[in-house]
Amino acid sequence: MAKTRPKPLRSALIAVIFASLLTGCMSSAKSKYFGRTSPPAENVLRYVSGSEPETLDPQLPDGQPEARIFMALYEGLVEYGPKDQQPIPSIAKSWEISSKVDEFIFHLRDNAKWSDGKPITAQDFVYSLRRGFAPETISRTAGLGYAIKYSSEFNGEKVFVKKNGRFLTAADIDGTPAKDVPAFGPDTEFNRTLRGPDRITLEGDEKKRSKELESDAKLKAAVEGGEFVPVKAEDIGVEAIDDRTLRISLRQSAPYFLGLLAHQFFRLVPRQAIEAHGKEWTRPANIVTCGAFRIKEYRPYDKLVVERDPNYWDAANVHLDRIEFYPVEELSTIMNLYKAGSVDAFLNHTVPTSWIDEVRQYKDEYLNFPEAATAYYSMNMTKAPFSDSKVRRAFMLGLDRQALSDFRKITKPLFGKVPSGIYPEYDKAVEKVGEELRKERGVTPETWAKRNDFDAEAARKLLTDAGFPVVKSDSGYSCPNFPTDRISITFNTNENNRSVAEFIQSQWKQNLGITVPLKTMEFKTYLPYFKSLQYEGFAQFLWSGDYMDPYTFLSLQYGKDNEGGAGFYDAKYDKMLNDANAELDPDKRYEMLARAEFYLMDQLPFVPLTINATNWLKKPYVKGMYPNPGTLIPWKFVYIERDQAKWDKDVENIFKTPDPQMEKQLSDLTATQKAAAK
Amino acid sequence: MLSFIIRRLLIIIPMALLVVTLTWGLIRIAPGNFYSGEKKLPAAVEANIRKKYGLDQPWYTQYGMMMSNIVRGDFGDSLKYQGQSVNEIIKRHLPYSATIGILAYLLALAIGLTAGTIAALKQNSAFDYSSMSLAMLGLSLPNFVLGPLLVLIFAFGLYWFPPARWGGVSSIVLPVITLSAIYAAYIARLTRAGMLEVMRSDYIRTARAKGLDEMTVLLRHALRGGIIPVVSFTGPALAALLAGTVVVEKVFALPGLGDIFIKSVLNRDEPLILGIVAFLSILIMLFNLAVDIAYGFLDPRIRYE
Repeated sequence: MAKTRPKPLRSALIAVIFASLLTGCMSSAKSKYFGRTSPPAENVLRYVSGSEPETLDPQLPDGQPEARIFMALYEGLVEYGPKDQQPIPSIAKSWEISSKVDEFIFHLRDNAKWSDGKPITAQDFVYSLRRGFAPETISRTAGLGYAIKYSSEFNGEKVFVKKNGRFLTAADIDGTPAKDVPAFGPDTEFNRTLRGPDRITLEGDEKKRSKELESDAKLKAAVEGGEFVPVKAEDIGVEAIDDRTLRISLRQSAPYFLGLLAHQFFRLVPRQAIEAHGKEWTRPANIVTCGAFRIKEYRPYDKLVVERDPNYWDAANVHLDRIEFYPVEELSTIMNLYKAGSVDAFLNHTVPTSWIDEVRQYKDEYLNFPEAATAYYSMNMTKAPFSDSKVRRAFMLGLDRQALSDFRKITKPLFGKVPSGIYPEYDKAVEKVGEELRKERGVTPETWAKRNDFDAEAARKLLTDAGFPVVKSDSGYSCPNFPTDRISITFNTNENNRSVAEFIQSQWKQNLGITVPLKTMEFKTYLPYFKSLQYEGFAQFLWSGDYMDPYTFLSLQYGKDNEGGAGFYDAKYDKMLNDANAELDPDKRYEMLARAEFYLMDQLPFVPLTINATNWLKKPYVKGMYPNPGTLIPWKFVYIERDQAKWDKDVENIFKTPDPQMEKQLSDLTATQKAAAK
Repeated sequence: MLSFIIRRLLIIIPMALLVVTLTWGLIRIAPGNFYSGEKKLPAAVEANIRKKYGLDQPWYTQYGMMMSNIVRGDFGDSLKYQGQSVNEIIKRHLPYSATIGILAYLLALAIGLTAGTIAALKQNSAFDYSSMSLAMLGLSLPNFVLGPLLVLIFAFGLYWFPPARWGGVSSIVLPVITLSAIYAAYIARLTRAGMLEVMRSDYIRTARAKGLDEMTVLLRHALRGGIIPVVSFTGPALAALLAGTVVVEKVFALPGLGDIFIKSVLNRDEPLILGIVAFLSILIMLFNLAVDIAYGFLDPRIRYE
């Protein structure tokens, strides 16, 4: 066959292009590492941190990209542990917890300093927390700290009632005598007030208050003639006993509270800078920080460079000279930067699906571990047919979640409310309680093990029982009665969300004979649509845990106005959670929580889908950096290893591979608390 | 001419305010708000936010407050990027978009005018066909394909340029080429069409009859008329380029205004949306005015009263 001969110039050009493409592909196929891999000349980490930080004020934003930057700039009482995210000492060198887990005393180290050299005292923590809860601060994360006594009342501008020279308490309403609680730590006047019976609080707004009183005659009578005193910053349960001792008092026992304290909301903010510069305190010229790093250069949307702070109390153990945070969001661009060797690591959830097959070959770099993050489809229980638990269960059983996970490539199937593999102790409790329940219900171990697994047959039977007979025809199943014209799978517009929805749609069509239409909308439009239960059928819901305790997942369905978005409310479930949190023995508490989870799974307000995976890359010479469940990295442990023999290998075992430097640093840090605990 | 310019300048302000008002109305109709996120806010926190930003006031009060600030040139602070004023954000990011945009347009002009003119002069030649096919390709190849393709070849194949991010001359080469492709193609086609028409007109025949050499005919007479379509295209094109180009900014991770504009809408960041919309509308009106003035110089038949 005759071929046209390419002209010399054109063929040369084609040759250059192909050669370059080929070298690009070949180098990646042959090399052990993904793209250019050589440690930077200086001790610098170049990290893609995702979206541009909203602000450098740690008490305002709720996003993870900001959280990681705040972990470099600010410290709190405790820090997330590098491997397991459990609290380790930070500015507090040790702490004591009351037997009821409702009071905490922190002992601060005496060499902690701000970046301007000023010493850090307990008063700084008191200031920071009071500021965080102040209504005018408008912190979106303030709710995380509501366990602190009177903080939600201060944040919500409520009032106490003063009558005959004293504040009214719950005892004045129901007549129960106040119990005498012994002091935990030094007995101060302020602490006595907090220990005393809970004061009554009412709405600060007059209209709302009269409405509140109208609905409760007993309360109204008790309040009559009283004076309304606004809840002030000084009333919340935070007290500087002395310069180095801080006491936090909670409204009730909260065993998860210590783990929460590493969250950005609880990190220190500088009174000196805030009072001097107002809302402009976060500008590089004005900012004062207290973390291992301080700001060197900030070019919004381009880069934020932080450098080791010589004033930091543990500066000798900070290995990096600088971290450069790059706010890049486009996934392919992030991959390109990494491949070109322009960045050393990047944030989680970032390898695009189309790159995964190639990237997972780089076993020394690709980090794919379970995250404390889950995906569900909420079902609107307030509208038929999803008010029927049989229908809800049928849709869960009719979906092969293992197949869904395989299709997504990086996720693991989710069979309960709490992701498994994140909280090992809780997983054990679930197993134990499960076995008890199995015996109670007289089910064989095989049936029990598969109770939430994919079972199309059982799903079809449930639907038929619920009044929607599934009939078999030549082309598969059909369910002619089911009102598919009203329901849909609703999700916010996003390529991944769509592919998941299409996969699930086809599964339900195949297994149940029901084609659920898809409905997609822009994120900010979706949120109110979902939260106010306007959807019918299914709505996608993603949830990342706020702290390292299963309660962060279980509390989603807690209370009347909960976040679950399914219209679920069950007083029994709430009580189970309350009782569990009042339990002081951690193992027993986990068992009680597990029982609550089983109860919730019987009600099934949602179809559990998948457990997210960390899904990010780091160069093998970056050490001391771990894919913990929230990808929250305490930066002072991170270092650049120049000896290639010591580079990370086979990161699948990264948690088991010993790193003497990191381990010594960690054990030195935790030693103060261990000594105090003894 | 002067009164024409003054009249046009005076109308820009009320037009911009009208655009702002319409945009404000549209934002209010759109569901969702700037403070909502995946996690539900406690009622108290939501109430505090609404109070701080005056969202608890009736709409006419809010509109009045917004307008009185805008008339004074103050768009307020961004709701998302707290502590940063809208004016400051625009001022900070405009230079990035403008650098890329102007360079891309200059490159597009250089390529487009040359190719278009030669193609017109040598109509139906091999050059004409190949350059116009290339132009067709340039028009139909979207930025999000061309950009990554250039990255693949020049950043990963040849290692000539970095794949993304701002920093140094070498970092803007690929974005400028990517951005200019579509404009170069468009300008080439406009120039060719314009030149073809002009070269056949009577005044060119007159110029040739006067015995002028072909180069003078081309540069002094033909080009002036031939590029009028390009000039009318330049106004809106430059305004759009200055305001940033989302795709190129995303692909190359550049801190330009385009990406910020899109995100401000997704974030329901009202002051920032209004600020950028006002800025953009003024920019477009100014460029259109400049185009109209340029007509007068290029074509003696166009006169403004």
